[in-house]
Order: sequence, then structure tokens, then C-alpha cells
Amino acid sequence: MMKTRTEAIRAAARTLLEEGRVDAVIGYVQGTIPLRAQPFVAYTPEECDRFIWSSFCGGNLASIASGRTDRVAVVAQGCVSRNLNGLVHENRIQRENLYIIGVPCIGMLDQRKVEAKLFGRNIEFLKRDPEEDLGEIVVGGCNAMGECYEEVIKRRDVKRDNCYTCMHRNPVGADTVVVEPVSETAGGDINAVATPWMRFDADRRWEEFAKNFEDCIRCYACRDVCPLCYCTTCFVDESNPQWCGKTQDSADVQTFHILRAFHCAGRCTDCGACESACPQGIKMRRLTSMLEKDVRTLWGHEPGMDSTTKPPLSTYRPDDPEDHFK
Amino acid sequence: MKEIELYEPRIVAFFCHWCSYGAADLAGVSRMEYPASFRAVRIPCTGRMSPKFILHALRQGADGIWVSGCHPGDCHYGTGNYHSRRRLELLKNMLDYIGIEEGRIHFSWISSAEAEKFQQMAIRVVEAVRGLGPNTRLVKSVCSNCIPPVPTCDTMHECYEPLEEIPGAPRPNGSCCGGNGL
Amino acid sequence: MNIELLPLTGVRSVEGEAGDFTVHLTQAPRYIDPEKCIACGECSRKCPSKVSNDFNAGLDKRKAVHILYDQTVPLKYAIDAEHCIYLQKGKCGNCAKVCPADAVNFADTPREFSVRVGSVVLAPGIRTFDPSAFDSYAYSRIPDVITSLEYERLLSASGPCQGHVLRPSDGTEPKRIAWLQCVGSRGNNKCDNDYCSNVCCMYALKQSLVTADHAHGEGHDQAIFFMDVRAHNKSFEQYYNQAMDKGVRILRARPHSFLPGEENRGVRVGYVNEAGEPLSEDFDMVVLSVGLEAPAEAKQLAETFDIKLDHWNFALTDPFDPVATSRKGVYVCGGFQEPKDIPRSVMEASAAASAATAGLTKGRGTRTAEREVPAAVDVLGEPPRIGVFVCSCGINISSVIDVQDVADYARTLPGVVHVENNMFSCSQDTQVAIAEVIRKHRLNRVVVAACTPRTHEPLFRETLEAAGLNKYLFAMANIRNHGSWVHATDPKGATRKARDQVRMAVASARHLAPLKEVTLGVTPSALVVGGGVAGMTAALGIAEQGFAVHLVERETELGGNARMLRVTQGRFETAPYLASLEKAVRGHAGITLHAGTTVADVEGFVGNFVTRLDSGTELRHGAIVLATGGVGLKPEGMYRYGEHPRIMTHQQIDAGFMDGSVDPKALQSVVFIQCVGSREPGRPYCSRVCCTHTVESALHIKRTNPDARVVVLYRDMRTYGQRELLYKEAREAGVIFSRFSLDHRPVVDVVNGTITVTFRDHVLQQDLTVEADLLGLASAIVAPDVNGLAQMVKATLSDEGWYVEAHSKLRPVDFVTDGMFMAGLGHYPKPLEESVTQARAAVSRVTTVLSRTEMTLAGTVATINKAKCVGCAVCWNVCPYNAISPDEKGFAEVNEALCKGCGLCAAACRSGAPDLRGFTTSDIMAQVSAMLG
Repeated sequence: MMKTRTEAIRAAARTLLEEGRVDAVIGYVQGTIPLRAQPFVAYTPEECDRFIWSSFCGGNLASIASGRTDRVAVVAQGCVSRNLNGLVHENRIQRENLYIIGVPCIGMLDQRKVEAKLFGRNIEFLKRDPEEDLGEIVVGGCNAMGECYEEVIKRRDVKRDNCYTCMHRNPVGADTVVVEPVSETAGGDINAVATPWMRFDADRRWEEFAKNFEDCIRCYACRDVCPLCYCTTCFVDESNPQWCGKTQDSADVQTFHILRAFHCAGRCTDCGACESACPQGIKMRRLTSMLEKDVRTLWGHEPGMDSTTKPPLSTYRPDDPEDHFK
Repeated sequence: MKEIELYEPRIVAFFCHWCSYGAADLAGVSRMEYPASFRAVRIPCTGRMSPKFILHALRQGADGIWVSGCHPGDCHYGTGNYHSRRRLELLKNMLDYIGIEEGRIHFSWISSAEAEKFQQMAIRVVEAVRGLGPNTRLVKSVCSNCIPPVPTCDTMHECYEPLEEIPGAPRPNGSCCGGNGL
Repeated sequence: MNIELLPLTGVRSVEGEAGDFTVHLTQAPRYIDPEKCIACGECSRKCPSKVSNDFNAGLDKRKAVHILYDQTVPLKYAIDAEHCIYLQKGKCGNCAKVCPADAVNFADTPREFSVRVGSVVLAPGIRTFDPSAFDSYAYSRIPDVITSLEYERLLSASGPCQGHVLRPSDGTEPKRIAWLQCVGSRGNNKCDNDYCSNVCCMYALKQSLVTADHAHGEGHDQAIFFMDVRAHNKSFEQYYNQAMDKGVRILRARPHSFLPGEENRGVRVGYVNEAGEPLSEDFDMVVLSVGLEAPAEAKQLAETFDIKLDHWNFALTDPFDPVATSRKGVYVCGGFQEPKDIPRSVMEASAAASAATAGLTKGRGTRTAEREVPAAVDVLGEPPRIGVFVCSCGINISSVIDVQDVADYARTLPGVVHVENNMFSCSQDTQVAIAEVIRKHRLNRVVVAACTPRTHEPLFRETLEAAGLNKYLFAMANIRNHGSWVHATDPKGATRKARDQVRMAVASARHLAPLKEVTLGVTPSALVVGGGVAGMTAALGIAEQGFAVHLVERETELGGNARMLRVTQGRFETAPYLASLEKAVRGHAGITLHAGTTVADVEGFVGNFVTRLDSGTELRHGAIVLATGGVGLKPEGMYRYGEHPRIMTHQQIDAGFMDGSVDPKALQSVVFIQCVGSREPGRPYCSRVCCTHTVESALHIKRTNPDARVVVLYRDMRTYGQRELLYKEAREAGVIFSRFSLDHRPVVDVVNGTITVTFRDHVLQQDLTVEADLLGLASAIVAPDVNGLAQMVKATLSDEGWYVEAHSKLRPVDFVTDGMFMAGLGHYPKPLEESVTQARAAVSRVTTVLSRTEMTLAGTVATINKAKCVGCAVCWNVCPYNAISPDEKGFAEVNEALCKGCGLCAAACRSGAPDLRGFTTSDIMAQVSAMLG
């Protein structure tokens, strides 16, 4: 748990509820296992003391806020705040009903990467969760024999993939920001990082693509956690015509992931919740980050930087690039 | 002597009614020959081109896809092709990225007067796809998990969404006109 | 249905008067029965007589039996008797032998007949200047000197070389091409024309830009030799800049010689550049930008109709009534009125239509016909019963495709209950037979495998209607244009394809639903916003058509900008015209004037608008004309404007002329500076009217006071059209014209109450300073802030604030939204006569809406499945017609009156909520599945 951020969030949330400025505050509380945080909706000032902020707030609270009609405050780092802006544009939230409690973010950590460093040892506690990007966390636990360990892990070694290339760590359009802004760190060739298969030929790319999604069990956790997936009927559930089967056939699975990613194009803030939520460790961002890069380089659009700009697939410019048109 | 059958790719073409479909008509009037390897689906505007149609065609085993519309600025509806240009440009990049071979999917702007461009593009599309051979990617395997064979529509109701004005009309049945064969 | 096309027809004589003319006509024989001709082109292919093809400027050959060009209307062949071997010598007759439709009739004779009409519109067009008699243009001497019309055809995708330009001398691709402007225009010395032809600057820019776009590889060069670049109309200046950005060279020079290149290939062009240096350049080809002239038949036409022509044989008209000829009831439009481009011709055509019908309103609808359609039978709940008609098209299809095989195959397809093969599915008797079959077999879907739906779908749909079947239950398989005609050497492939096409069409047919065509009532009145010349003209015109008009003017007075205008076209005084127009408007019982108020809110759609005014009045109307005008820019901060009472804009000078405070007799030295605030990076357009206005004012001064010195500092003199004559007159009167460029702007100083202007003389190449007792600033015309109004009516504004037309060339008066039209300066700066024309055009466009008691909307519109809609705004963001808006719950809702059926919403929506009737997702996917299945 990050102490400064946690306390500031609790204080901000409490004030909002006490003053009656919102009906509810959406934030994170400690999950049932150490490296997880779970969404929580507080309706009373007292409940606000349960809120935390940690390196493992890897969901996306915009999904919880989406579709609500009461006045809510949402604890949001850069990506989530941008999703909230996007959802305002898409009429999922009324801006006047929304209060963004902004949290400058130093990047979330990947539970799986931490686990991989521990060679199967059980994690029972997160002892230290520093508020510096380049700090070290301390995790530890005991086995059945009563033998205990503590492991110091550099944050930079276990960040979630999307957090390495994040370009907007500070909240955008927040109503309040709980701590000083952090520096925006993304550097290097983010476009190349976004498209790791680009260096392969088509055959190899197809191989990588097929392999990437072959373990999908179609539990739709990615869809459920995503703030952009709020259709009442997802295209895979369409019945007239039912063109994309609901089966485990590879074409069906692939179609689901292709079109889901495409539907997020120009709206996705690369929050990484889909990958965090996936029980199978599938890298959906292979598709979404590629699209994010294209949207940025083709049309100069970064999603959610305000709530009035039309998403790139809702607008055009007469001189848009048209490399594929003869 | 037995004729050697050339591999005939199966190419789905989506042509805008106002331009490229007309260019194909004019190519006919001018008797410009091109290979009989694609079949045209007439759409009102490339703006109607849902990405679903391209994915559906690939899933159904199309070896190639060709979408052709009006030159930018000449859309019958003003802005349809501008929107489709963004959508298709992005979709093509994505399909390239996941390994759908360059040469399977083609986009062009052909006005209704450009019969020759149409003919040349037709030849170019067919040659490119023929060179790649049959498509195996993203193709839905036939009955791999036993979706019933092509259903038939028993009554008209099942073939379209009833118009809203008709109270009490039965809703379409999901199993009909859907599935693999529509 | 209510337009009778009479091709090959000439006017013999005219009797009667406005409201009741009898026109005696002669129709030349076509020798092809248009009722029978299916335009398959067999006759032309087999015709041995080759003739120079006038349509392609004589650059290639056509046959004696021919169509003029591929898109010709009606698409029917004709025999050119002069060159037909059979008609001349009695031999041959190939066409009759090969015609599958038995349409050739060598015994055809001229037909003489008469029509009774209330009005006549003359639109004989123009011809291009013929440079062959002028040695200086070298057109007759040097093969690689061609006219712009020839170049246009060379460049055309449907031209003699399919758009790949080849030069005449040796058939190679020319890389270095020069255009010479003003050939047959603005000429003073030779017998060419002294007016400006209006269109050549822009077509030369277009040709050079298209050429530059197509140029691949090294060594390409496009150069335009010009006098003034007259890129004066909407977005023209930007186009001009684009051409320069693309590397097109714009050379201000008049070449003095054209010499043939080596072996008579290419052209050596000698000219003197702006610095006065003699130069010579070699080009592969030279294009003469030939001007436009009155048509050859102008004199004869004038005699027949007893109308007056001007000095150059154009129809004589009055700037205040630009489409009326000297004879009542006879109107004119297009090039015969004055050389002009497409948008202005289209505008003028609509204007002529309203003028021609204004006096005939009593008879409206009395001579027109409407089709009777029986009520459609209810096919809901029936299983598909599909009938398939496979056409042989004579032998057009059957010579390549095994139509019997296709028909047999069609029988095996699910839902197909009847199949037949027709010789000509489109022939009149087959139509009757198909209708019979539909009734007999109770078909509820029809598939025709024949030619293209682009031409034939309407015909078959009518047949369905006649048989009592909803016309949308029809699908076509295009096995001719997309089949037999393009796969002649691959009959097997063509037959296989035809089977697939039929299967696809049948699959599509199974998904077709009967569509309703909703009818809406129309409120027979119009709202005109803006009481300037355009607004008043529109209001008066609409009232003359017999409809009520609400004219809304923000100010308490009518007249707008014209109140500040002294003359138009140099000699026509504005004030008396304005007074009579205002009197007519105020006096017309059909016009309700709402002065001193503005529009507060507009709701509704074509035929059914409701507008609320600031005054609280609520108006119901069926159409809207926006004539909100333009504003003269106050050139603050430019050329010391405001620092001396005699540094004035045109509006101020005109006012001074009219009230006597500016007395030409008292002026000794006057300077005008052009392009004040126009054609600048921040305002990159040409304001069009200022050059002519300056010349008018300069002439006024010179005519009154020949001794006054008048200097005009300009960038390009854009006195387009017959305004060129004013420019010429001004030069003859001694007005000094001196050009400046943006890097050498004139400098104005005010010292001790004296205005001085320093400018660089481009001939002497040195700075000159003159004192001026009047400095006229030709300041830009800018768009007023109409954002609020535009938002209310969902009109689009350009970057510069002008109203955006539905199509800049073909629909220059319409907004994208139906039932809304524009006129006057709000569309773009224009002289008074063009405002009048556009306003009259708006009248015509409004009449097309208001003259109907109800409107039938197409059935192919979008629908929203609200169960799927999430209200995310994508569909209403992309809809080009603002036809979708959120309902009270935030879900998308389609206004069928506005929807045009493009399907953008259906493709953009992630949730699959919108669908497009007639092109449903199920239908399209079913076709794909059927093809690949």
C-alpha cells in the first residue's frame, strides 16, 4: 500500500461524501490476496477508510463508473481518467455527475512477473510499496513448514508491460489531484515496442498471432474489465446474423479478439486491465497497442485527452493518409 | 488434351454503387476483359463497409477481398468514403500485422468513368491473390464443432428483423439464417 | 416521367407569346428504334464506316452508328446518315444484320411536329475558340501545339488514350508541357475576343495539377504562361496555391514565338520574363487554353426566337434579371448567356427554371402525369417464393454464358419456385409476362440475371409494383456487364461466375423485406433569412410561384449590402433597382416581412420546419433559404486605414459618390490598393468583386474628371467575364495599373494630413511615391458570424465561414440537408447579378419541395435496434445528414425524412444497432456466404 496516496485518497473521498458533493466514491480496497486490489464503492464517509492505493490497482475503475446515473467520484490515474473523459463523450457518464480524484501514477506492477521472481514461493504479504518509480518492493511469506522469506524486488523489473510505455501517468481533466504530479517518463522507440511482430514476415506474424490467442478460454474477463466494452449485445453474441461463432474454434477465438480490439481502436488508453484480468495470461495488448500506435501516428489522436474531441473513427480529415488505397 | 485448370482464387469484391460498380459496368460496355475470379457485392457507399464484412469473408474462406469506392471528395453522400478510408486503413494495418498476407486485401478509388483503371485493378487483384494461393488464415473450419449445416428459412419472418411498425410479429430465431452458412 | 427528351431535334419556328407559345420542331431520323435498342453496341462493332470523333475533339475515330459517349442519355445508338454506307450507297447493312433487338430502321424519316408551351429556355451552350486561323498560335503549323479541349480529352479516362497523354507528333508521352492562357480571350490586336472567358485559368490549373499528379519519374514540368491568374471563385485561390505547391510553374509572360522543335517534334517557346530578359524554352507540348464563344447557331436561334444578342452573339440580358432575354417568356442559361463554369451554369439553369415557371403557376400540374400503382399484396409470413429470370440479352449474354445451365442451376436453389430464360428480360412484352408470372405463381421475390441494376433496377421494380409486389423484393445478378461482356474468351469461367452471381442474388433475395415508403405532408411556405438583394429576390420569386414566404431581416431596413453599392457592371445603377425590388417585396401579399428580428430556433426537417423568432412569433414552413450575406472587412491596421478620412473602403467611397461627399471633379490624384485582406495567408481566398469595383470607381472618376490621376495597385486583375471590357475601358481612359507582389507591398504614409503611397513599379523596377487625395482600399468580403444560425439548422460552414454546398459543382444552391438552400454572399462573395441568379435558383429549388402536397421517402433508410443501442454517439457523429439524434432516453433515432441510406451508421456502430434497409447486414453477409459456400 502506498501510504501518501492512500491517505490523500481517503481524505478526498471522505470530504466529498461528507459535504454531499457525490453519492458514492469508487476506489480500490485491499483484495483477498496480497498482490490484488479490488474495486469498492463507498457510500458513507466511514467506508472511505477502507480505500487503498498500491502498485496492484490494475483494474479499471472507469468500467465501474460507466452507466451509473448517480453522482460519483472515481479514483483515477492517467489512463483511467482518460477513459472517463472518453466515456463522457460516449454518453456513458454525465460530466456534471462525475468527480475525478486524480492520482499521479508511477506504474502498476504485474503480479505474474513478481511471482516469476519467487520461483513458486507463496506470497503472503506486501511489506513495502514505495511511492517512487524506481523504488523496490518487499514481498514475503512462509511455507507450510514455517520457513519464511522476504524478497526485495525492483519495481522497474516487474512493471506491467503497458506501464513501461505509458505517456500519460498524470490524470487528465481531474477535479482534484491528490499528490504532486509525477514526471512523464516514456521514452525510447515506443512505436516499435507497440508492434513487436512488425519485424517478422507475414507467416511468422500469423504464427505469433495464432499462438498468442490459442489458450483463450473465452471467459470474456478482458471484455468485462474493459471500460470500452459496454455494448448490451457483444458482436459475438449477435444472432441475426450469427456470423461469429461462440466456439473454441481458432477462427472464432481470433475473430473475437480482432474485432474487440478494433472496437477499442481510438478509444483505448492502454490501461492494461485486459491483460491483468486474463486468467490465461494472454497478451491482448499485442493488438490494442498496435492500434493505439496507428491511431496516434496516422491521425495524431490520443484518446481521452478531453471529453469533446470526437474519437478518430467518428471523424476524418480530407487529407488523411491512404497508403492502402490504389 | 485435358485442359489444365488454373487455380481460381475466390475473391469477394465490395463495390460502391455510385462509382466502382459503374466502372465495372462501363468496362463491360467497353468489352475490357479481366479474369472471372471475383464476385461483386454492391453496397451503397464504402461508408457501409463494416469491418465485419471483411472478417466474415475471410472466415468463410475468401482468398481475397477488394473494396472499391469513389475518390475522396467525390462521395455521393459527401463524407462516406472519408470515414471508410480511416476504418479500412486501420483494419488493413491490423490484418497485415497479424499476418494476413499483403496482397489478399485490396482497396481502390475508381470513379464510374474509370473503366480502364477498373480493368487494371481487377487484373492486379486477381494476380496478387492467385500468387498467394488459397487463404488458410482466419478461415472457420467447416463444422469443426458441429454447427448445423446451412439452415433454411422456413418463413420470411426468420430472414429479417420485422419492421418496428408491425406489432406482435415473431422475433427472428437465432438459429435460422445465422450460423456458418447464414 | 414528366421530362420528354427530344434528341436530334431542331426548332423550325415559334409562334405565340409568353404563356402560350407553339414551337414547331423537326426531329431528324435516328435510324435506330430507341424503344428496341438495348445499347449492346454490336452494331457499332460491326460497322465498317469510321468517322472522326467530334466528342474526342477529332483525336480518334468513331463508327457511323454510334453513341456520343459512354454515359450519354438516353443510352441509345444512332446512325449518322452522312457517313452510313447503306444510307449513302445502299450497300452494307451490317448493323441491321447483327442487331439482336431488330432495332435498325433504315427507312426512318424526319418527323415534324409542334409543342405548345408556356415558356422557353435556351441553353445551346458554347463553342471553343478556333485558333487555326492565327499564325501566332502556331496551332496549324506545329503538331505538338494542341488546344485545351484536345488536352482535356487526352487526359480523360474515357478519352482516346484512356488518360495516358501521348503527343500528336510521335505518340510519345510529353513530359514538359506548357499552357498558354487567354487564347481567344482578352485579345486586343487580332480578331479574337476581347472579353475574358472565365474558365480557362481554372481548367489550365486543373489540367496541370492532374498532369503533375500523374507524372512519374524525372524531367516532368508543367508551366503556365498567363497574364492574370483569375482564380476568383470559391476555393479557387486555394487550388491555385495547391498547384504552385505541387511545382506547377506560373509564368507571367506572353510568349512571342512558337517554333517547331527538331524534326517538327515539340515546341520552342520564346518569351520575355518579368525582369525583361528574353528567354526560350523547349517544351514537348504546348496547350492553348482556348476561350469560349457563343455557339455557331446563336444568330439563327436569335432570329427564330426573336431575341436580341450582344456584340459577341451571346444572349443580351440585364444584370438585374440575368436569365431573361429581350423577349418575354424566353429565358436563357449557361454559356449562351455569358461564358461561365459548371457551378454558375447549374445555378443559372435553376434560375431559368424558376423564371420560366413563375408565370405558369396556374397551370402547375395540369400537363404532368403520375404513375398509378396498385396496392402491394401482403407477403408477410409467407415462405420465400422466388422467381428467377435469366436473360439472354439477344446473344449478348447467351453467346458467352450457358444461360440454360444457369437457369437449370437456379432451379436447385432453396426458395426458388419458378425459373425461366428470356430473350430480352427488359423488353416491354417480357415485362408484362413477368408481371403475369408473379401473380400466377404468387412469387414474393424476384431475381433477374441480366445486365446492371444501375440502369435496369428501376424498370424491374416498376414491373414488380405493377404486379402488386413491393418493389424492394427484387435482386439482380449482373451477368452481362460483369459477366459475358468481360469474359468473352472464358465462357466456362463466365458461366461459373453467373451461377455464383445467381446464387448470391437468390441468397440476397431471401433476406429482402418489403419496405414502406413513408409519405409526409408539406407545409407550402418558405422561410427566407436575410433581406438583402438575394433574400428579397428569393422571397419575391417564391411568392410569385404561389407560396407564402416569411422574410426575416435582422435590421429594420431591407437592402443589405446593395444599399452601399453605386453601380453594378460599371453602368447599371443599383438604387432604382433596389427601390423597385423593395417595393415589390413589401407589396406582395404572399410575403410576410419580419424585420428587426432574428431566428431563435429551428426544428423539423424538409417539408415540416418550425421556426421561432426572437420576437416570439412561431412560423411553420416547408423550406428554408439562407441569404445572410457578407460583410465588407474594416481594414483596421492595414495601409493606415482610420488615420485619414480619405483612406476609404469601397463601401465608403460609393456612399461618398452617392451623397456627394466624394466629388470626382475635386479629385486630382487617386490610388486604389487591391487585395486588402484577401489572398493573404490568414484569409486565403479571393473576394471576387473588388477588382471590378475598383475599375468601376476609377472609371467613374475618369469619366467625370479625365484629368485626375488614378493609379490602381493590384496583384492580378480579376475582372472576369465581360467585366474585362471595363478594365480595358479604364486603361484606355488613362487609369494606371501597377502590379505589386506580396514581398513588395505598397507603403502608405500620412504626413501633415497628406496621404502618400510608395510602390514598386514592376516595369521600371524602382520605387515610386505618389500623393493621393483619395486612397481606396479594396478590402475583403468576409462572412458574418452565422455560427448560431448554422448550428440551429445544422448547416456546415467552411473554414472561412461560408455556407458549404451539397456539391460544389452540381448542387451549388443546396445544403446537404434537404429542404435548405442558400443564396448570395453567405455562400461566397459574388457580384449582384450572380446573387440574383443564385436567389432565383434557390426559388426553383424551393419550388421542387413546396410544389408537392406530400413527399414520399425512399424505403432504403437506416433503422436502429434500440435493444442494442448504447447511445455512444458514433452514429450521429458520422451521419452526413444529421439524420440521427438521441431520443429522450439517449438512444439513437433515425429521422427517415433526412436519411439518404448511405449506411455509414451501420458500419460505424460497434453494437450492431443500426441497420440499413435494402442493404442489411444479413443480406450482405448472406451474399458473401453464398458466394463462398
